[in-house]
Parts: sequence; C-alpha cells; structure tokens
Amino acid sequence: MTTETAPADRIVLPGGEMLAWSDLPEQRTADGVALAALAARIVPAGARVLLAGPHDPAVLDRLAHAEVTCLLRSYPDGVALAARTARVVVGGPAGLPEGERFDVVIAGAGLDPVESVEGDRLGWGGVLGWLADALSPGGTLLLRVDNPLGLHRLVDATPWYARRDDAAWTIGGVLDSDHPANREQVRARLTDAGLRPGACFAAYPSAGAASVLLAADQLDRRTTAGFFDAVLHDACTGGFAAATVLQDPARLAVDALHAGHGAALAPGWLVLARKAPASDAAPALGSPANLPVALLQAGPPGSDVVEVVDGPDGWRWQTTAGADRTGTAVAPFASREAAYRDPSVLIGQPVPDGRLLRTLLLDAALRRDLDTLRALLRGYANWLAGQAGDDGRIAGAAALAGTDNVVVSAGRYAVLDPSWRATEPLPRDVVLARGLWRFAAALLTGGYAHPWASTLDVAGLTVVLGGLAGHDLDRATVSAAVEAEAAVTAALRGLDADGRVTLVADLRSVEPTDPPAGPRGYQQLREAWLRQRDELTRMSALLKWTEGLLTSRERALRRADATIKLLSGSLSYRVGRLALTPARLARRGARAAKRRARQALAPQQEEQQ
Amino acid sequence: MHHANHFYGHAHVLARYAGLGDGHPPRINGYVQHGWNIGDGLAPGHPYAEGTPSLLWSEQTRRRAWSVGRRNLVVIGAPFAYLLALRPEDPPESQRQGTIWYPFHGWEGQHVRGDHKELIARIRDTEPGPVTVCLYWHEYGMRRVRRLYENAGFRVICHGYRGHWWRDTDPLFLDKQLTELRRHRRVASNRLTSAIFYGIAAGCEPAVYGDPMVLADEDPTFGGTARIRRQWPELHGESVDLPTAVAIARAELGTDHRCTPAELRELLGWANLQEERVDH
Repeated sequence: MTTETAPADRIVLPGGEMLAWSDLPEQRTADGVALAALAARIVPAGARVLLAGPHDPAVLDRLAHAEVTCLLRSYPDGVALAARTARVVVGGPAGLPEGERFDVVIAGAGLDPVESVEGDRLGWGGVLGWLADALSPGGTLLLRVDNPLGLHRLVDATPWYARRDDAAWTIGGVLDSDHPANREQVRARLTDAGLRPGACFAAYPSAGAASVLLAADQLDRRTTAGFFDAVLHDACTGGFAAATVLQDPARLAVDALHAGHGAALAPGWLVLARKAPASDAAPALGSPANLPVALLQAGPPGSDVVEVVDGPDGWRWQTTAGADRTGTAVAPFASREAAYRDPSVLIGQPVPDGRLLRTLLLDAALRRDLDTLRALLRGYANWLAGQAGDDGRIAGAAALAGTDNVVVSAGRYAVLDPSWRATEPLPRDVVLARGLWRFAAALLTGGYAHPWASTLDVAGLTVVLGGLAGHDLDRATVSAAVEAEAAVTAALRGLDADGRVTLVADLRSVEPTDPPAGPRGYQQLREAWLRQRDELTRMSALLKWTEGLLTSRERALRRADATIKLLSGSLSYRVGRLALTPARLARRGARAAKRRARQALAPQQEEQQ
Repeated sequence: MHHANHFYGHAHVLARYAGLGDGHPPRINGYVQHGWNIGDGLAPGHPYAEGTPSLLWSEQTRRRAWSVGRRNLVVIGAPFAYLLALRPEDPPESQRQGTIWYPFHGWEGQHVRGDHKELIARIRDTEPGPVTVCLYWHEYGMRRVRRLYENAGFRVICHGYRGHWWRDTDPLFLDKQLTELRRHRRVASNRLTSAIFYGIAAGCEPAVYGDPMVLADEDPTFGGTARIRRQWPELHGESVDLPTAVAIARAELGTDHRCTPAELRELLGWANLQEERVDH
C-alpha cells in the first residue's frame, strides 16, 4: 500500500479502516453519473455534505459547489479521493466527528458498504441511525436501498444466496429483517429513524450502476408511457449486454412497467428523506415538487445526463443542473460517421406522449392481429413519407426513427428522442426498411409468436411488413437498409472500419433460428434451439415428402417415356422389336443360369480368395 | 409443389398477381387453401408434409386450424381476391342480368344424393330473370344431369376442369367464373360454398336455398351442412341482407389480407426462385 502521495492532513483515521480493501473499481466507469446528477440537484451551494460509503468520483465532481466530507471504510480509497475533497474520514460510521452535522447526507451505495469489517457490527438499522444523527435539522438524506426481489435477481444466472466474492463476508437479503425489503418498509424505517420520507426513484438497470433514475410514483402510474418503455428497454439491454441471464431483462422490465410494477421490480431505489427543520428554516432545495421525472444517461458511456421534468404542458427534456457542457454537441467524427448525437436539440422540447410503436407492433403480432399491424405500419410509413424532402430523402432524427424510438398517440407518430440524428439524409424506403428490418430481427430472434410462417427469413419478413405498410419493398432495398443499420450502429458504438465490415456481415447473417442480440438469456437460447429443432423437423418431413413425390413422378415419367417410344417408332421398328424381345429375354435368362452354375461349381476358389 | 395448389388455376392467378407472368407457376412453399372451408383450410384426405406452411383465406380459418393442431399458418386471402385486384372492372356492370345458379357438387370421388328435378322447380319458382346453371365438370359430363337443366330452359355452363395431379388444370378457371359472375345480378346455390362468396365479392346478390343434397359419404368432422346453416344463418334464404353478406364475404375471402406482390412472393417462397421458368 502506498500512502506517500496522500495529503495526510485531509484523511482522518478514527479507527476501523480497512487497509487491504477497495470499494472503487480499478477502471473508472460512468456508473454514477445519474446519481451524481440527482445529488447535484439536491445539494445547495455551500452546503456541508457527507458522502457516506464508496461513490463514483463523478459524484464528487458534480458536488464542487459544496463542502464534501467522505466517509469510507477503505484506506486506499480514502487516499485516492483525498485530493478531490475537503476531508476523508476512513473507518466505520462510529468514527464520524462527534457533534458534527451535515446539510445533506448521501449514501449512494447503500448502507452496507458504509460499515467496515472491523469493530462491532452495526447492521443496516445501526448505520441508518448514525447517518440520521449526522443530519442537521432540515437536512436531506439521499439513500440507496437495494431491492432483494429486484429484476437483477430475477434474471441472474447465479442465485443471490450463493455469492462467493470478497465483498460477500455477509450476504444481506430478504431473510434479514434488519434490511427493509420493499418501499413501504423503507419508508417505515426512515420514519422510525426520525426522518420524513420523500421522493423515491427507481434505479435501472442495476442499483449500483444506474444509467436511469425514474420517479417511482410516475412509473407506477404511467404504465403505458412510451418514454418509460423505451428507457427501461434500452437501459436493461445495455446494462446486461455482456451478462448471462435467465431471461431477457428488457422484456421483464417492460412487462413490469405495463403491469404497474416498474418501481416494485427495480433493482434498487434512491430515496430522499428529510429531518424535521428548525421552525424558522426556509425550505431547502430538492423538495419533491422540483424533482425530475427521470434522469438518464441516454447515449454511450461518457454521455451527459439529461432530465425529463413534469410541467403544466406535460413532460419536457431539460439539461441537468451543473452539467459539463464543454464537450462538443456533435460527435468528433460526425463528418465521417452515419449518425451522431446532439443532446442540445432536446432542451425544452416536449417528450411526445403515446405508446412505443415497437410495443404496439409486438402486441399485435402476438395476437396475430393483422388488421392492427396493417394500420400501425401504414401510419408509420405515411408519417415517414411526410418527413421526406422533395428529393424523397429523410434527414435528421426522423431518418433514424425506428419502431423503438417512435411513439404513437391517437394515430399521431413522433420521434421520442430526437437527439440521435443521421449525418446524411437517407432515402425514404431505406429508412422504412431499416425500421422494419430491426423490428423483424427482434421479433424473430426474440422468439415472439407472430402471424407468419417459420419459412420467412429476416429480409423476407421485412418485405412482408413493408407490404402491410403498403410499400412494395424489394430485397435490394432491404439490403441497403442493412448497410445503413450497420453504418448507424457503427457510429453509435464508435466502431472502426474493420468493426463496421464485421458488423455488416453479422447483420446479414442473422437467421430466425439465432438467439437475439444482447444478453445471453437462457430462455432465449433455449427458444432458439427449439426453433432450430422445429426447422429440422420441417425440413426432414419436406425431404421425405419430396422423395415420395419424386418416386411417383419418376414412375410417371417412365410410363410416359415407354408410351412415347411405342408411339413414335416406325411400323417395322415396332414389329422387329416385338419379335426380338422374347429372344432378348431368353438370352438374359440363359446368362443368369450360366452365372448361377459357375458360382455353384467354384465355391472353394472364392473361399481361398 | 402440392398438386392441390394448382386446382382451379389458383397458382396461376397468384403467379400473375406476383408479377411472374402467365407461364407455369413456380412451386409454392406451402399449401394454398383451395376452397371455402369450415375446417382447417386443408382438404381432408390429402397427404401433407408436417410443418409446411398453410396459406389460408381468413383469420377465422387460421384460428380454427390452430385449435386443431395445425401450425405455421399464414392468412393471405383467397386467390379469387387476387383475381379481383387483377381484373377490377371486367366485364362492366351494365351487362348484368339474371341469376347464376350453382347446384352443390362433391368432387370426383363423392356422389350427391338429392333430386335435381325438385331443385329445378324451386329455382324456376324463385328466380325472377334468366337463369344460368353452372355445373361442376363431373356433373356437366353426365349427359342425364345436364339435360335436366337444359330442358328446364336454363343456360348450362361449366367453368372448366379444376385439374388433378398437375394435369388438365384450366389456368383460366377462376377468370371464366369471374366473367360469368359479373354477367349476373344474383348468385345462388343450395349450399353456402366458395361460389357464393365469389359471387358476393363480384357484386352479385346472394341466395342459398333448396335441398342441400347431402353427399353419400360426407365427412362430419367439422359439422357439415347443418353447422354451416347454424353459423351463417344470415346468408341462407332466397333473399339475404346484402351489406351483411358483403361483410361476411370480405372476411371469409380475406380480401383485406390480400398481400402486395412483393409480400406474396416472400410468403409463397417465390422471392429467390431456384428453378428455371417453364413457360407452358
């Protein structure tokens, strides 16, 4: 361990520090940016803030306007953060300076990592008691609570009770009555600790690496909001992209949303609570009325967080307070890439109301409702046509408007998040075909039931969907759409030329019997295997049928051939043939008899050979 | 391709609509429902390869087929609906007169029980104008039956031979039927059959009355004639409500599910043809 570079005067060691432990990941990730944005919102300028437990350094960066004390159990982490903050207390919560009070206490990693392995066990309730005591009157607590029955546990291929990693010296869970296990229990425990619980945010795709924070009350109420649908789907697809899971987390999250359990199944919650103010105190910042509906990191890692706020005219996009806007609005290689993100176009724009087109189409496909599919797809195609210029090309956000970024309300179509934009306008049919191809690939590889035959490939289904939309697409247009999809995806993922070539090949080779892109889900892999098995069964039956038919046709052909010969020969040919046939048959019989006799006479010779 | 796909020139109509011309149609990757059907859309008694797509006329047939264990079902609408798209106005409305009457037929292997004379008397009592009787080729070939209708003063026609095992299919069977239907004001039969739905779609007023002439060996699996009368009572009678009939015919023929040419090429397996075109 190295302590030479630590500004020792900022590190307080009251005892209980963990010398050989770190809670911070070795490589910095942008896991905490949504939390940092929320923290920045609730911390007034000049406030005394206690950051209890390990946090992404991004949180510290966003709290530059406040006087921050970090409470860490890990000495190496304390050394790493000492240069970026006013003071670091390394030890358990019992080591907090006695009598010192903070305007805001943030426990964004939950209460368990606040406690050190050293010293007496405090437990969840004990740590909460310490932190509540550290709040000044009117002060605010921002607390993360993990959901023991959250989506992450429902999809996890490893059971929660079988953890063996270094951090699992104890495993908290639903069996531990000291841990609150749902939002009601959290509220009750906060109240018991002398705090007044306030707003609650559902954290997706995981409590520790939340890229989106969604207001729990709105999530429970607005079950058909296309915005929530898209945000949850994207967050869970991206968040579990490299994971092996039991089932598709994005499907589960969206299903939970529609069932009104989007907040109940969240992997974790960020809860605000307030200590009763002194009687003459002014209301602090961050009262629930001022809080956003959503904070989301919409874009690749490193993107800034945008907010959605509720207002008299509905939801609107907004930048986060204190956000770093020094980055360029346009991607660095915008001139060469097919697409780029420009968050500035969002600011102040309404979030269009309506249901997500992808969900409406999936629902209609599952119900085999061709009429609804036709109406939705025609509406989509007509809307796209309306976005095209005189040259038949579509520019900007509409050029990338797939079914997963378009909402439908009362027959009106709108782009949900217009910050993603095409660099060059695309032909209208290519834009339509790209949207339909993406949907077709997701439908087929996702194993969804649908009203078409298993013999259709992804390009074929794209053409069929085009037909339902009233557009006769050909396979050349679909091929151009796959190229466009590869170019856009390469731009969004920051792939180089080789990566793009590989991507095009990958997209072209997508088969209905493949598992879907994204997390490797057991259900999805099994379904893909079942589809392959069904396809083999179908092919075997077809082969058997074709063999039978071929035999029957060959027989018919021989009969026809014999008839043709008989009818087409001359009279002398036919007479001669009739005369010679008995002689030919007799000669064939004589040869056979001679062969049999020879075999009977020479058995020993054959044995010797 | 299953030989039943060629019945009545269905494959030929679909190939024309799909832009493949008037030649011999390519193989279809599936079984096209070849008549209005109260079962699963497939003809009973025909052998089928498991898992091969069924290309059905209507959504109702698709649900029914699924419920009896069929899978890989696609609703594409009736080939007749495609013919209507190919020939939207020919011949013109002004030529319509009288009734085209379809005495119910079985297929070659079946024998109809019933009294043609009684049926003829009923037709004469009911139909206001000139009557054209369209006989199935099998009955048309029976001189005795044909004479019965001719002697009653009816014009007797036959649309052609539906074909069997790819032989003698009349590729213009449906075309001839559409032409005849559009020359008449009414379409009638003693059973609710494909012809009645075709007639309604071609602009005729429908009627279903008279002895339904039960087949000697009628398959009772899907309820037979009695069930048809129970399920579609509004289409039975000497005069029926036209808007109701039009709506039912639209659903049963799957007119709204008619695909675009490119869509049809994909669904029939014609998008990537491997075989050489045979133009005869």
